[in-house]
Amino acid sequence: MNAVDVDKLRAHSESLPGDTLAALRRDAVESFAGTGLPSTRLEDWKYTDLAPVSALSDAWLDSPGESAPSAEADALIGKLRDAGDVTWLVIRNGNVDANIADESGAVSLRRLSDATPGSDFDTPLSALNAALLKDGLVIDVDGTPERPLGLLFVDDAETHEGLAQARVEIRLAEHASAELIEYYASFGDRGHYANAILTLDVAAGGVARHVRIQDRGREHSLTQKLAVTLGRDARFESASFDFGGRLTRNDLLVDLPERGAHAEFNGLYLAGDGQHVDNHTKVDHRVGPAVSRQEYRGILFGRARAVWNGKALVYEGADGTDAEQSNHNLLLSENAEIDTKPELEIYAEDVRCSHGTTVGQLDERALFYLRSRGLDADAARRLLVQAFAAQTVDSVPVEAIKDELRELLEARLNRIKDIPISQ
Amino acid sequence: MLKINDLHVRTGEAEILHGLSLDVNPGEVHAIMGPNGSGKSTLAQAIAGHEDYDVTSGSIEYDGNDISELDPEERAREGIFLGFQYPVEIPGVNNAYLLKAALNAKRKHEGLDEIDAFEFLKLAKEKMALLGMDPKFLNRGVNEGFSGGEKKRNEILQMAVLEPRLAILDETDSGLDIDALKAVAEGVNALRAPDRAIVLVTHYQRLLDYIEPDVVHVLSGGRIIHSGDKSLATELEDRGYDWVVEQAKSA
Repeated sequence: MNAVDVDKLRAHSESLPGDTLAALRRDAVESFAGTGLPSTRLEDWKYTDLAPVSALSDAWLDSPGESAPSAEADALIGKLRDAGDVTWLVIRNGNVDANIADESGAVSLRRLSDATPGSDFDTPLSALNAALLKDGLVIDVDGTPERPLGLLFVDDAETHEGLAQARVEIRLAEHASAELIEYYASFGDRGHYANAILTLDVAAGGVARHVRIQDRGREHSLTQKLAVTLGRDARFESASFDFGGRLTRNDLLVDLPERGAHAEFNGLYLAGDGQHVDNHTKVDHRVGPAVSRQEYRGILFGRARAVWNGKALVYEGADGTDAEQSNHNLLLSENAEIDTKPELEIYAEDVRCSHGTTVGQLDERALFYLRSRGLDADAARRLLVQAFAAQTVDSVPVEAIKDELRELLEARLNRIKDIPISQ
Repeated sequence: MLKINDLHVRTGEAEILHGLSLDVNPGEVHAIMGPNGSGKSTLAQAIAGHEDYDVTSGSIEYDGNDISELDPEERAREGIFLGFQYPVEIPGVNNAYLLKAALNAKRKHEGLDEIDAFEFLKLAKEKMALLGMDPKFLNRGVNEGFSGGEKKRNEILQMAVLEPRLAILDETDSGLDIDALKAVAEGVNALRAPDRAIVLVTHYQRLLDYIEPDVVHVLSGGRIIHSGDKSLATELEDRGYDWVVEQAKSA
């Protein structure tokens, strides 16, 4: 398999401006040199082959550059900003915008180059990210921001292939409460790969409500990792959505080192011809009592390929752990494929843990019921698919983005040309 | 209005109806009774157009047209309504949404404009009051988490809103307490009209205390083997089905 050439990586990394990040980048290049990109021989990457990402990255390093801005990206930024109910920070092609207008004074924002970045490369993708990082963001929230804070990762690939790294560290102080949105979009016919590394630390009694939306171009790849750490009695409520992209891999890591933490996260992925979407989640229940609940849903059509792997690790002595995970998949074509794997690893005595996965087609009884009420077969099928998805949309904890999300969902569901009656 | 002639219906490998004939005129209420496994539900599903029930010979005529090749949605829009024995739970589809979509599908078929939101809500609430249903059921998922009685009331609500010309109610009385039974009966009786027909498929005579049928049929072994007036229902309740079956055999 082709690999990312480390000499080219090093050369490009050293050419990047910004003295304060130089040491970080240097360490990252050497860390990456030791591993390369993860291969499918690794259990965590068994079903997701990063070969296209590797090829694109290597080719891009031969002629690094940035695409001209696309009108569609401008339009999306304008549309989201005009809606006015979310404070948007735009990270375009890996270039950071660190100016916001939040009059509550609850949010403070710094460039990573102005902070003291730690050298945390726990994964090869994190090392690649740091090696090529132009800059990142550090967001501190103390109190309650007046509006949700949106991070719009938007990339252009119209006149040049693109490779974009984004790194954001978010910290909520004790009893702070924030609504956060991650939105990934990309436009253009050239190849693109984006790699985002995020951390979210919620201190004692804090509440983070989070939504992730991925609606990238159909030929573009994304690897994204969000590592959440919850303090005592802190909460994390989240819903994530994958609509676009050619290859998408999301890692959501939730660390619960303190008692009374509560993490609730749901996801919905939609994939059709040529799309591959992989959601890996991991919850570390280090102490009890603490709660984690996750429900991921998938709608697969055409020759889609999806992966869900949900892991909950309950440490010795973490009594009072309450962990639930489930994954439900609707397969609308016989060519679609899902690899689903719940994993519970329990070393404590007094726990309540459950998991469940389902893979199925539309409910024939429900279809007949709807048709017997006068709905035509296609409308009845679409209604059932929509209903399957609606349950995740309903769980979205950020009210301000719900309408946008519903619109997007409807548009993406309409991409499904033909829903077969049954197989 | 409904004329079934020598109907044979097969599901899977088995033929369930073996030459069933039935005539229902506008304005009439018919009760179809019979032991379990006699083919009552098959008849109801076949009239509504369920694809698992194959009409192998005979015909189902509605208003003089054979409908046995029509899709279930086409039959519904023509004014045929099936009240399900086991109404299906559909989480994520709003009860009000389905009611409105169903009504508009029928209105469109009849060349009428879609009903506006205000008019629809008024209509739905009026019908719900008649059935003793809390308006909050409108915003719940279709039958989602409803009790047995609530599901059956919801069927009758759909019927009341859609105003079908032919209503087939499959075991609508099963699993109902006396209050729910009365409410359902009231809903059905309110729909009785000279241009409308109702077919009650039931195992027990109980429902017929509240909805008086014009004709009572006994369905057994896939055929109607005996018909009579409403006194037949009482007789069946007292004597069971065996005597009718015996009588039919010796005839």
